[in-house]
Amino acid sequence: MLGFMRFVATRAAMALVTLVIVSLVVFSLMELVPGDCAERYLAFKNTQGSGISVADIEAERVRLGLDRPFLERWASWLVNAFRGDFGDSCILRLNISQLLGDKFWLSLSICLASLLLAYAIALPVGIIAAASHNTVLNNVLRFVSYLGLAMPNFLLALIIMLISTVYFGDTLTGLFSDHYRDAPWSWGKFVDMLSHAWLPVFILGWSATAFALQTVRALMSDEIGKLYVTAASARGVHGRKLLWRYPARHALGPIINSLGFDLNRIFNELPIVALILTLTEAGSLLIEALARSNDQQLAGAIIFMLTASIVTLNFATDVLLAVLDPRVRKSIIR
Amino acid sequence: MTTETTNPATDSDQKAKEAYFTASQGQLIWARFKKQRSAMIAAWVLIGLLISGIFASFLSPYDPTVAGRDKDYLNGAPQLPQFCDGNGCSLRPFIHPVERERSLATNFRWVTKVNEDKRVYFTFMPKGWDYKLFGLIPMDRHLFGVEEGYVHLFGTDATGKDIYSRTLHAIWTSMQVGTIGVVIAFVLALIIGGISGYYGGWIDSFIQMITDAVRTVPAIPLFMAIAAFIPQEWSAETRFFIISMILGLIGWPTLARRVRTHLLTERNQEYVLAAQLCGASPGHVIRRHLLPSFTSYIIVDLVISFPYMVLSETALSFIGLGLKDPVNSLGVMLQSVTSADVLLNYQWYFIPVIFFIALVMAFVFVGDGLRDAADPYSDSHK
Repeated sequence: MLGFMRFVATRAAMALVTLVIVSLVVFSLMELVPGDCAERYLAFKNTQGSGISVADIEAERVRLGLDRPFLERWASWLVNAFRGDFGDSCILRLNISQLLGDKFWLSLSICLASLLLAYAIALPVGIIAAASHNTVLNNVLRFVSYLGLAMPNFLLALIIMLISTVYFGDTLTGLFSDHYRDAPWSWGKFVDMLSHAWLPVFILGWSATAFALQTVRALMSDEIGKLYVTAASARGVHGRKLLWRYPARHALGPIINSLGFDLNRIFNELPIVALILTLTEAGSLLIEALARSNDQQLAGAIIFMLTASIVTLNFATDVLLAVLDPRVRKSIIR
Repeated sequence: MTTETTNPATDSDQKAKEAYFTASQGQLIWARFKKQRSAMIAAWVLIGLLISGIFASFLSPYDPTVAGRDKDYLNGAPQLPQFCDGNGCSLRPFIHPVERERSLATNFRWVTKVNEDKRVYFTFMPKGWDYKLFGLIPMDRHLFGVEEGYVHLFGTDATGKDIYSRTLHAIWTSMQVGTIGVVIAFVLALIIGGISGYYGGWIDSFIQMITDAVRTVPAIPLFMAIAAFIPQEWSAETRFFIISMILGLIGWPTLARRVRTHLLTERNQEYVLAAQLCGASPGHVIRRHLLPSFTSYIIVDLVISFPYMVLSETALSFIGLGLKDPVNSLGVMLQSVTSADVLLNYQWYFIPVIFFIALVMAFVFVGDGLRDAADPYSDSHK
């Protein structure tokens, strides 16, 4: 038990270090954007008719604490970020945590749902594909999963929208009906969201499914050829029982390990799909922050939070793997 | 003994064996690659697309930029070459010209109408807009054109630009972006992964920590963040190079990790020790002994990472943060397709998509085939 606790603590520390490095990268990027908050505020005042001078900008910088050294500002940003406070966006002049709020959790749940969908499809199909010697089935699956890799998600979204507009006359955009958009959370709103969310979940899950299918199939066909499977089938275990209890359990480890990167891949697609389907969630907020206004505070916050959720998932899968896999568990406790 | 060699079967067997044992690495890979049908088909598709990309200017009848626009045929439907119509058949393909008309009958709006009675024949190797073949040889001949007016195989877009010409140029742009991105990512990966894998120890741990941290950041949001900093007033060509560089600068971690893993396994081999004992410097050992030992793996990695560069560029341009108009790329061409107008009325905007799916699929299949071919144990698996 002590060994296990130590393992969890080490992994948590590694996750923290990763986050600190990421925050340094993100914060440096935010700093690289031409123009800082002081200039932005005063430029806004300038448009309101009051004249400004260089001294004014300097004074504003001191007021906002922008004159402090880089490392000091980074440290305070990082500490605040861990508390969930990303400060204000200079362009929108709103608190970022408020602005993101539900939207971030909403997009995170959509992404997690598509990850779930991907594996719900990929696990059974991948195992069947690996077990069967049907070349036609295997080639079709290979082609479909390559198509999943080759066809960017936004194209899939566009094509689905094209079909739905041409044949059903419905554009399928948005995450809520007009009726519920600004309403407080309720069961009705939740159901309404589910009736809209299946499309982004499906589109985001599409390429993740393709990747997962490849992984599952490759791992399973590696394991199926091994001697312990032959031994088990010689003892009379066969069919589904053989597949699930022997090779599938061995293949599970690497699959759990790759979950974090699958989430990463889904996040990659999120902003673009969100833009096409005009969902008001973190992804399209990111595009707005970057493309329309160069809002570095908001962009930095979103990238940091996305990365933080990947790091958290990686940490969780590491621990889960140690719990599930006796080989990993033994190697820790020893 | 001598009687046996006269037997033709054993003789050819012997020759095949000899050829197998004396074949170079490249010949072996090629022999295994040839056996895979899907990879070979993909390779031919890829070569076809590559050629049409290289000769884009020659193959396209009109300038893909605003200069080549057909101002009388905006959002025009594709015109397919025909051999037969109501007035009989001809060996030479032709199209029916479109005429614009505005009168009382059309409520004084411009209306385009296909004139079924008139034929405009295709001409081959006509003179057209000036371009430079391979960027060097000035030319003005094109593969085809029509006797008068314009022909648009894939239709035109909202400003009257020929979608067929744009698609060909876009393929070329994507290949360039992919190549520049892959080369930059590759050089970075070689340096970083090389140092990490060769020295090992704490340097390796430190570099791996940073690589892993960079790898966890979702790439497209990061691309977007960096691409947004490019000043809007920079020219399209400058943007093109900067975007390709950004793609490379963010794409290195995965490659670097693979280089490191290869190096870690290879550096403990005897031939490395031998070189070190002979007094070879670390740089020399990495370059002359370690890198050649897994060149084939590196080539495969490059081919596999190529489509991701192309897709990232497409995504970036699509949301308006990547390439800009005079430069053609799929993302640029697709910028306007989200509007309901295009979705409902102008579906030919989607024709280039087919080419890009083909391009990316071809790369994925070739990469996959190469990976199997480069693995010396792939035969024994099957």
